[in-house]
Amino acid sequence: MLTYLIILLDDTSVSFCHADNPRCERRLIPLDVLRQGIRFAMMENLTIQFVYPDYPLPADYASVIESIDHAKIKPTVEAADVWVTDKPFEGEVDVPVVLRITRQELFAQTEEISNLIGHAPRLNIVITDIGAFTDDDFERYRALLADISARVETLTKEGRMPWVSLVTDRMALTKMNNCGAGDSSITLAPNGRFYVCPAFYYEAPEDSIGDLEAGIDIRNRQLYKLEYAPLCRRCDAYQCRRCIWLNRKLTREVNTPSHEQCVVAHLERNASRTLLANIRKANPNFLAETKIEEIDYLDPFEMKREK
Amino acid sequence: MDVDTAKYITFIVTKDCQLACKYCYLVGKNSKERMSWEVAKQAVDYILAHESDMPEEAVVWDFIGGEPFLEIDLIDKVCDYIKIEMYRRNHHWFNSYRFSFSTNGINYHTEKVQQFIKKNSTHLSIGITIDGTQRKHDLNRIWKTPEMERGIMPKPEEERGSYADVVKNIPLWLEQFPDDSTKVTISSADIPYICESVLHLYGLGIHEVNINVVFEDVWKEGDDSLFQEQLMQLADAIIDGGYYRDYACSFFAEHIGKPMDIETENQNWCGAGMMLAVDAAGNFYPCTRFAAYSLRSKKPIIIGNVHDGINKNLLRPFLTLDRFTQSPRKCIECEVASGCAWCQGENYDAAHTETIYERSTAICLMHKARVRANNYYWNKLYRKLELEGLREDYDENHRKSSQTPC
Ligand code: SF4
Ligand code: SF4
Repeated sequence: MLTYLIILLDDTSVSFCHADNPRCERRLIPLDVLRQGIRFAMMENLTIQFVYPDYPLPADYASVIESIDHAKIKPTVEAADVWVTDKPFEGEVDVPVVLRITRQELFAQTEEISNLIGHAPRLNIVITDIGAFTDDDFERYRALLADISARVETLTKEGRMPWVSLVTDRMALTKMNNCGAGDSSITLAPNGRFYVCPAFYYEAPEDSIGDLEAGIDIRNRQLYKLEYAPLCRRCDAYQCRRCIWLNRKLTREVNTPSHEQCVVAHLERNASRTLLANIRKANPNFLAETKIEEIDYLDPFEMKREK
Repeated sequence: MDVDTAKYITFIVTKDCQLACKYCYLVGKNSKERMSWEVAKQAVDYILAHESDMPEEAVVWDFIGGEPFLEIDLIDKVCDYIKIEMYRRNHHWFNSYRFSFSTNGINYHTEKVQQFIKKNSTHLSIGITIDGTQRKHDLNRIWKTPEMERGIMPKPEEERGSYADVVKNIPLWLEQFPDDSTKVTISSADIPYICESVLHLYGLGIHEVNINVVFEDVWKEGDDSLFQEQLMQLADAIIDGGYYRDYACSFFAEHIGKPMDIETENQNWCGAGMMLAVDAAGNFYPCTRFAAYSLRSKKPIIIGNVHDGINKNLLRPFLTLDRFTQSPRKCIECEVASGCAWCQGENYDAAHTETIYERSTAICLMHKARVRANNYYWNKLYRKLELEGLREDYDENHRKSSQTPC
């Protein structure tokens, strides 16, 4: 069910997800488009997430934005509900942080990143080149997840529970919690058109799923739903982003994940399993509803092929 | 060898053909695209070097065109190379392979083709396409003229049918391949000729006629009733004429027309993705139907090439497809769903988005008509056999259709 409307306030609005925003020319959303977008969200009962560029908006935008309950996703920490950055930060931050990073940067900065844990209420690490993972990278990722888990475990023993998407999300989930692009969320771009998600706008602005006048028209809409994804609907890597854009880019189909996405998500799942077991040694009732079984595959595709 | 579990590897050796059949789906036919020896060799090398990626017990090396026998020199060289390489590499397919051809039959008798047949006779299957009676065959399967290559179509009275040029080779073919079948494709205009055509093919000595309606949305109002009528006539003719024991026609099959269970009968129908096709440019496709020349309105789906190999991520959608995910609700709930086929390539070509996950149901009414005629056929046949006390004998000994999905 459609629940969220992401509104890109500018063509240079910060990317908060797997795809980079290649646009560097500013194009602010026209005020009347913004108003119409908000009206649309109110009528459809959608929660709005505004995505900001790195420059201050004209004054008259603020009052329009504040006319509705919303979340602000920003490239600066000030007045953000979610702060998006591409570098490890210093000090304490009191909003959730999205750290966008390549796999090589991640491997090179394991220690710095481990040290961030506990210094923000939540740390979402978004890897921006999942499609480029090699078998060696998978091994390095496994080691990195073990390091991050060790840090989380230490803090948990001290009575704090830090949230780091890569290893703690799965521990808290009992069902799929994916990105939902095209199913639970859609994006309104500054051109007044709707897209499956911001990445679809960056890549093919002509490929819209409707506009403010005509409404939403998602062709083959069912394919964005979990039950129409043959691999994912049976999978229990519940924390997986199941990135619809990556699916389309790497396999051509929005409902079919790549090998790389599945293995990365399963390494995280398995790291969560170990972390959960370790925490439960001291605290047997910790997240008691969560079950993460032992499995012997990293890519559900291989399981399906064997069957 | 068991062709049902074999890997199908198709070489599109040429897009050229002597004929210009009116229903030919090769919308982008281009006589210049002939496969070179280098590309064919690289494809064989790649495939045989990736043995663990293709664990199927057997292989069918399939050669298609256009008309494949126009490239008999290349094919002969490639087949020799395949045999030598399978032996040299001690490949698990060495004793489990077949070379397969779908030909228009025109060059069948030529010396080079005959030499090739002699050399490979124990590992060969050849299907000759003949559409039925002369009237029916010549309606569609006409000779290409130089003007046609320049886009100028002949007037109906100038068209030259190819029936006589094909049928003269049928006795030789049947002598060499008595068990092979012919493939007949039915489009809207062919419906009135179905019964006479199948009987004609039986009369030529062909014991197995694999016949399908096209998947494309070509059907007109009333076609389903006409189709049903033709199949009922054919059912009567097969049963009353006693053909049912030694001849097979794929239209009549016991398993079709039943509801299907969503859990236990959720498999994909089409084999795209489990097959592999390679074209003259050295590009790999999940099946030939995804090559540019087969598509009306979509871009080709190229899954790799002979230099860089296969991109396995692009194969994943094909290999995870199931019936539920691609079918509309009416098909999931359909009372007569079994045997209702689809072609992944046509699904893709007809889909509203760039997906292989949207099943085209253009054949819906035709399938339902077939089911009704099929029910009639089996009810009539079984009653006859029971009255004659021959039911068990029939079950054990009758000729079964060997048709593979595509
Ligand atoms: S791990 Fe793979 S199968 Fe599982 S949800 Fe993620 S993308 Fe889907
Ligand atoms: S296409 Fe028609 S006949 Fe075939 S399964 Fe669907 S509803 Fe049934």
